[in-house]
Amino acid sequence: MADRTEDLQGSHVADGQVVHPTAEDFRHASVLPVDPLWFKRSVYYEVLVRAFYDSTADGTGDLRGLAEKLDYLDWLGVDCLWLPPFYDSPLRDGGYDISDFYRVLPEYGTVSDFVLLLDEAHKRGIRVITDLVMNHTSDQHPWFQESRHDPTGRYGDYYVWSDTDSRYPDARVIFVDTEESNWTFDPVRRQFYWHRFFSHQPDLNYDNPVVQEEMLAVIRFWLDLGIDGFRLDAVPYLFERDDTNCENLPETHAFLRRVRKVVDDEFPGRVLLAEANQWPSDVVAYFGDEDVGGDECHMAFHFPLMPRIFMAVRRESRFPVSEILGQTPRIPNGCQWGIFLRNHDELTLEMVTDEERDYMYTEYAKDPRMRANIGIRRRLASLLENDRNQLELFTALLLSLPGSPLLYYGDEIGMGDNIWLGDRDGVRTPMQWDPDRNAGFSHANPGRLYLPVIMDPIYGYQAVNVEAQLNSSTSLLHWTRRMIEVRKRHSAFSLGSFHDLGGSNPSVLSYVREYTDPDQTTPDVVLCVNNLSRFPQPIELNLRQWEGHVPVELTGRVPFPAVGELPYLLTLPGHAFYWFQLSSREEAAS
Amino acid sequence: MSVVEPLDAASQLAARLAGWLPGQRWFGAKGREIAGVVPVAATLLYEADDPEPARLDHVLLEVSYADSAVRQCYQVLVGYRRELPERLEHVRIGELAEAGNWRVAFDGLWDGELAGALLRLMVSGAERGSLRFHMEEGVSINARGGDTSPSQPGGFAGLPARVMDAEQSNTSVVYGETAILKLFRRIAPGHNPDLEVARALRRVACQHVPTLLGDITGRLGAEPKVPTPSVPDARDPAPSPVSYAMLTAYAVNSADGWSMAAASVRDLMAEQDLRADEVGGDFAAEAHRLGEAVATVHADLARALGTGTVDAAGLVTMADRMRARVTSATVVVPELGPYQEALLAAYDALTTATTPVPAQRIHGDLHLGQVLRTPTGWLLIDFEGEPILPLAERVRMDSPLRDVAGMLRSFDYAAAHLLVAEESDAQLRFRTEEWIDRNRDAFCSGYAAVAGYDPRDETVLLRAYELDKAVYETVYETRNRPHWLPIPLDSIARITS
Repeated sequence: MADRTEDLQGSHVADGQVVHPTAEDFRHASVLPVDPLWFKRSVYYEVLVRAFYDSTADGTGDLRGLAEKLDYLDWLGVDCLWLPPFYDSPLRDGGYDISDFYRVLPEYGTVSDFVLLLDEAHKRGIRVITDLVMNHTSDQHPWFQESRHDPTGRYGDYYVWSDTDSRYPDARVIFVDTEESNWTFDPVRRQFYWHRFFSHQPDLNYDNPVVQEEMLAVIRFWLDLGIDGFRLDAVPYLFERDDTNCENLPETHAFLRRVRKVVDDEFPGRVLLAEANQWPSDVVAYFGDEDVGGDECHMAFHFPLMPRIFMAVRRESRFPVSEILGQTPRIPNGCQWGIFLRNHDELTLEMVTDEERDYMYTEYAKDPRMRANIGIRRRLASLLENDRNQLELFTALLLSLPGSPLLYYGDEIGMGDNIWLGDRDGVRTPMQWDPDRNAGFSHANPGRLYLPVIMDPIYGYQAVNVEAQLNSSTSLLHWTRRMIEVRKRHSAFSLGSFHDLGGSNPSVLSYVREYTDPDQTTPDVVLCVNNLSRFPQPIELNLRQWEGHVPVELTGRVPFPAVGELPYLLTLPGHAFYWFQLSSREEAAS
Repeated sequence: MSVVEPLDAASQLAARLAGWLPGQRWFGAKGREIAGVVPVAATLLYEADDPEPARLDHVLLEVSYADSAVRQCYQVLVGYRRELPERLEHVRIGELAEAGNWRVAFDGLWDGELAGALLRLMVSGAERGSLRFHMEEGVSINARGGDTSPSQPGGFAGLPARVMDAEQSNTSVVYGETAILKLFRRIAPGHNPDLEVARALRRVACQHVPTLLGDITGRLGAEPKVPTPSVPDARDPAPSPVSYAMLTAYAVNSADGWSMAAASVRDLMAEQDLRADEVGGDFAAEAHRLGEAVATVHADLARALGTGTVDAAGLVTMADRMRARVTSATVVVPELGPYQEALLAAYDALTTATTPVPAQRIHGDLHLGQVLRTPTGWLLIDFEGEPILPLAERVRMDSPLRDVAGMLRSFDYAAAHLLVAEESDAQLRFRTEEWIDRNRDAFCSGYAAVAGYDPRDETVLLRAYELDKAVYETVYETRNRPHWLPIPLDSIARITS
């Protein structure tokens, strides 16, 4: 068991060797029972450690603070937390520039604090996953420091070095705003190093087998402590090959299969989530072999769906959503999409095809209202101008479209943003717990907060906070909790097939989710009808397949008229939605 | 099972049919006094004992009228059952005396089993009497009638047939979400242009029309006693080919252009302080893609069915026809009076053209109701041409600008129809015109991007087509929807101002 000092120390260099802690140095968290489907059934919650709760009154949220708030997340119905990186880092890229994979950023706490969080979460049946950046490290990482100072030493080959900056000319520069080349000259080693992202993030050299072993050791370290999975950041770029664009290479997939095998063999039930901001037809490659149910990542985010949902409601047309779901290929049966409305990032149009980018620009970015807000660096509530009907419609779509839903912290109470803060900080302000000082987030002097709390009259913490919404049964928070609860009653939402029903009214998006539990004889069939228009709309649905079934509304269990031979007529108020279970007459009567 | 000859059965029903026809939406002679209904041909298509006796006959009815010597021919698929299920009561035609299993006659298309039988006849390439059921080569509906794609498990059982009852002159049966069979109700000698165009466009793999899957054809005026269709009956030297039905791919998850455009206009109306290009419901991107789709179909039509020109003499004829329409229309619509001079001048300009106008087969009746938005793009449907015209005129080559003009007229209607019932509001009117201008431009730009020329550059011809169509609309509205008359009148005022 580590003492406090060791806990804080992390990796260190001794005799030219970078010495890492081992999992045996720490207490391990309890582990939840193995459940091969948990990641498909889960409602995810992205929480920034920095932003959730400050237990040390230093103005910054921390792991122990987050652990203190687990009861709230448990009450809300969250099944899994996604924590963006909390590793030691110079924080030049939001923590995605890791300088020690074995140490927690000191302001967040220690590895032991993380184990505590994990243990407390597991006690409540909540799982925890975090980001792991595989592709690169910070240039402050001791591996890179050793590598640049000692080209022939143990770490000389950990990164991709070259005497020229001309190799791999077909690999595009991703951060075109800040980087001119994928090569940067290092004045110490007097060579160029390869980096697909910022120049302070050198790419690891996966052609070096020792590097592969190092990263597998990192993965084993955290899995040994009890973590439930990783979101693997920037996976398409692990390898480089001449005459390619150095993305999605077969070698990269081979390594991911290796990672997956380690997980399956040594840590069954833990999951891998691919971060590949690409078109769904390209992302499916990261699920691996369909014949074996997928042998790379268990999950991947469906990136294009989110902007399409916004576009569809703005256009009052279902086609942007129908189109993208129609283009989404089937995925192996052991895999699942992750879907979201907002997360900590802005919407990026990178890694989509030219044609699709044109489409997005003409359909989406050209819209002056969207451009003004740019979509994109704002929270859900402010994007929707705090319109409760739309907030409910969007959340209902998130909870009913195919994939596991991811909520972004604060969106469940309709938190706003602060567009006057730079970069992406506007959507990373402190969680608003109550109307007291610092929104109940911290006992620190308000001036010491890592970011100021939201204070405007509409979204400010005195108007929008957890305490007030807990006390009002009609609040967005209570509504969100109820809808999560309804979702969990029906496996069709999480595991079911998806069938777009179409219909003659282009403003109505309706679909059927259907799942047959192996232990049940009758399938669970859920019908979702969404009015994307602000005006009331009628819709005639072709439900012939369910003739004689009774649609039972899911929130109030009210039976609607049975489905007959004629098209099923429904009317919806503006921005309204219905969730029905389609029950056979006998079921409905009982 | 008692044997009843199809023609005998139909003849027994003749009087009932005479009463039944005028109540059918697709019957084109409503209000005219029927002098007689005579079944002139009837063919047994399907007969089954299990689970209940059921039968389907193809019947051609010759209808004569009190007010004219010209007879019309209608196609009815008569189903027979011993008892009519309650859900089919609304399509009951009548009863046969002492016919046992075939006591009740009804419109058989509404009966899932009988409609399914039609599809199976097509899949098996059957011949019944002079009727030929045909599937296009390579069509992947398997022998059970089920689509082979994985989205349709369950084969035929997964393809319930349902009638779409919204059409004016045809009846369509949708099979699952796979195929749609359009039955032409009024039968005229000659190939149906819709079917002919669909086959030609299939040949050039046109992406913007529903793919043709098959058809039902026959010969009119020839009912050979021995079913050897390749040898025409010697006693009737000129049996005329005739189209009964066409089967095309069903556009799953589609909505028509009219409802798409109307949603956009509605959105604009609710945002009085925002311009057409600022509201969320902006239609311009869709209009642009629609323009591309129409131009693509035009190019495919030219490729498949050839091109020609309208020469100077042809233009004079065209201008004469348009002038004649103005003259006769003004009698019905006196409100046209003030515009007559400007209209005639616009048509005169046609005759000054120095170069022949390129011509080809076109859609002929293109408007927002004839286009479908699907998740993958726009489709054009219903290539029958303007239904009021005789067949020869409907298949004549014409300038594609006539279709462009038709669509532009449709934008006017889509934008203006929401306001017709209201007091004139200058602000809303201004917004409406903005919507029209914006989407006309977007449509034409999209068209130009594919066609290589911009319809807006063909001022004289486009104007003439638009005005001619608008004049036709004033007559139609005056007769059918007088409160909509301001829509074409306002357009004429705007175009001629």
